[in-house]
Amino acid sequence: MSLESATLWAAAIVTLGVYTILYRENPISRIFEHIFVGLSAGYLIVFIWAQNLEGKWWKPMVHEGKWYWIFAPIVGLLFYFIYSRRLLWMARLVMGLFFGTASGYFFRQFFPIFSPQIYGCFKPLRADASIGWGDVILHNWLFVIILLTVLSYFFFAVPHEGRFGRNLGRSALLGRWFLMIAFGAMFAYTAMARISLFIGRVQFLLNDWLGSLIPWFAQRGT
Amino acid sequence: MWNSLLGIFHPAASTSALIWRLILAVAFSIALLVLLHRFLGPRGRRWLIAFVTFAGGLYLGLEYFLPVRGSVLWPTGMPNPNPDRAANILTPGIEPIGIMLSVVGAFTVGLGIYSLCQVHGRNVAQRRPGWHNSGAFFLAMSAMLVFGLWAHYLPDQDAPGGRLPWQESTYELLFGGIFMPLQAATFSLLAFYIASAAYRAFRIHTAEAALMMAAAFIVMLAQVPVGQWLTHGLPTTGPLAFFRLETLGDWIMSWLNTPAQRGIVFGVAVGGLAMSLRIWLSLERGTFFSEQG
Amino acid sequence: MAGSHATFWQRIQQIPRYYIYLLLAAVVTWQILFPIALPILPSRVTQGVYDAIAAVPDDQLIIISTDWDASTQAETGPQTEAIIHACFQNGKRFAVMNLQPPMGVKLANDIAQRVAAEYGAEYGVDWCNWGYKYGFDNVLIALAKNIPKTIGDDFHGNPVTDLPMMEGVENIESVGLVIEITGLANVTELWIGLIQGVYGTPLAGAYTAVMVPSYYPFLDSGQLRGVLNGAKGAAEMEVLVKRPDRASAIMPVQSWAHMLIIALIIIGNLGYIFGRRRTTERPS
Repeated sequence: MSLESATLWAAAIVTLGVYTILYRENPISRIFEHIFVGLSAGYLIVFIWAQNLEGKWWKPMVHEGKWYWIFAPIVGLLFYFIYSRRLLWMARLVMGLFFGTASGYFFRQFFPIFSPQIYGCFKPLRADASIGWGDVILHNWLFVIILLTVLSYFFFAVPHEGRFGRNLGRSALLGRWFLMIAFGAMFAYTAMARISLFIGRVQFLLNDWLGSLIPWFAQRGT
Repeated sequence: MWNSLLGIFHPAASTSALIWRLILAVAFSIALLVLLHRFLGPRGRRWLIAFVTFAGGLYLGLEYFLPVRGSVLWPTGMPNPNPDRAANILTPGIEPIGIMLSVVGAFTVGLGIYSLCQVHGRNVAQRRPGWHNSGAFFLAMSAMLVFGLWAHYLPDQDAPGGRLPWQESTYELLFGGIFMPLQAATFSLLAFYIASAAYRAFRIHTAEAALMMAAAFIVMLAQVPVGQWLTHGLPTTGPLAFFRLETLGDWIMSWLNTPAQRGIVFGVAVGGLAMSLRIWLSLERGTFFSEQG
Repeated sequence: MAGSHATFWQRIQQIPRYYIYLLLAAVVTWQILFPIALPILPSRVTQGVYDAIAAVPDDQLIIISTDWDASTQAETGPQTEAIIHACFQNGKRFAVMNLQPPMGVKLANDIAQRVAAEYGAEYGVDWCNWGYKYGFDNVLIALAKNIPKTIGDDFHGNPVTDLPMMEGVENIESVGLVIEITGLANVTELWIGLIQGVYGTPLAGAYTAVMVPSYYPFLDSGQLRGVLNGAKGAAEMEVLVKRPDRASAIMPVQSWAHMLIIALIIIGNLGYIFGRRRTTERPS
């Protein structure tokens, strides 16, 4: 049996095995679940070593004599004190370093990510030579109204009573409607994504696996 | 004096020099940790953790916000090792620190693996119900580990007849024949669940639900050729063209969905900034933070 | 009579899930075996990705960040393939790399090898694979300053500096476009926050459909040049590169699966509306 056909058969058995869970929980799907977790764990170790540590840590330290790279595993291994009650604070020390740098990265990224989002809200609200009234109303006015009403929905600092509060409440209600439209669009995209994944598997089962046995299947749908 | 101190960090010239330096570095690190553990009280530890957290955030933040100059490092006037790239005094450290953090972080992979092994090891050792599943976990992990590394260290050579060495074939079979389809099939189950959920839960209880459903129908149809075909009779230009499903779908996405999503983006921005500030200044309280030290 | 009607509308709300599963499987199988093919029209956002690839200057390379795995392969696999076709057809050099699940870099490597063979493209000259790099922000921030040092070894474990196409590649200024292909949220934000927003390197995305609505604000602001929307975006890209393949085959199936979902929602709601009316009409 060639590697290709062994791979095809294994993949088909595994796929059908996983689908047995659609009927109900059963030993076949359970064992495949565990195999999946085991393979993921093994694969992760191999890849972290082969694609990261070997090139960026081991080679510089051992082959190029950069001995100070030994400090990297020492600091990294502090994470493992999470399992010791007495030495837990050392794990917190290195976690603090990572939390702190994560905050630093967020500060760095804040303006590059969000400032164009703010500029992007300033759209022309009057027609001129480049844009007609139809587009201004159907696009730009609508954009600004939706943005402001949605923001008012997320604005909880003022209670929705009194003259200003009541109007804010109305705006928030409108904002909620617009959010519902956005959620409807998101549902449509989610349905599409999930179905694509299933189609991909059926394409494999029919075109690739059955197609390797009966050529007619291989020709369908491509 | 300074230069001779920095000289320690030059690469070791010989294997024996390397080994000695490695041993000394490990001994020094252990001694430092022991001293810290012995002489720092809970308060001192808390301060040390807060300091490290603050310093990490400060360095990365300051490097970005401090002014930069081309030929010199602002504000010291020291020559810039890379004059093409404007820099400040903190810039040269960014790249080594980035690499160092990524290497340090890579060592945490063992935490997850250890946790998994602990759970499944207990199952096997105590012969709990379903222990053979945990056995399968260990078997799968070991097989991937052994054959993955074996395949990695095989010399790159074209075997006669284009056949892969058996170790690499086994790895390919584990990867392409089991691991990949397992993942793909598991996630594709979601298609069934979303179809079932759409039928059971998507009910028009309110006007808002009706709006959501209308948007969902239009966008779902606009995404696929058959939906686009439904309105293909409408003209491609003029006011009626707006009602072609692909145009209407694009309008919903660009002019109704975008501003609503942007409102959410602004919420994320403010929330993320507040959270980052709280963590950076060690003001956050919770499972991890309240017990610092 | 009224009772039998009520039973019907109630029954219609309680179709067993097995029937729904079977219906979905049947529709998908039917359309894969006997597809009703209809034309696929490339959308504005897909065209944006293609134009961004075509606009890359010849002395710069493209980074294709393949942060996906088998869980989303039906969407991201064809996207990767179509994007690689577009790169080769436009004579652009590219480097594959990977920040998130390490599986993507191998799957993308297999795809790139296969497509490269079609164009007679050579590894290390026309394309290369920088491999999986652990560390997200740390990798990107270091990559911007020094590519060879940050990448170190390529996918095959050889130093990237040995590859002819890496000659003269120093920092992010050697990169003309980044294409992020992913099923994971927040990786694009890293590219925007640490690369696109800081150095102005153009960025385009190829996402699973579920993620796409949240990235429309970034298209509107110009931070993203274009987006491939799941299998649909991949199919549109296949049309643009004139290589109809798996994604184009998905679209007819997707059409009827969407129709089925819409029909299921309508049936469920009819049952809900008429079932409720019957219940409220009945004397308590």
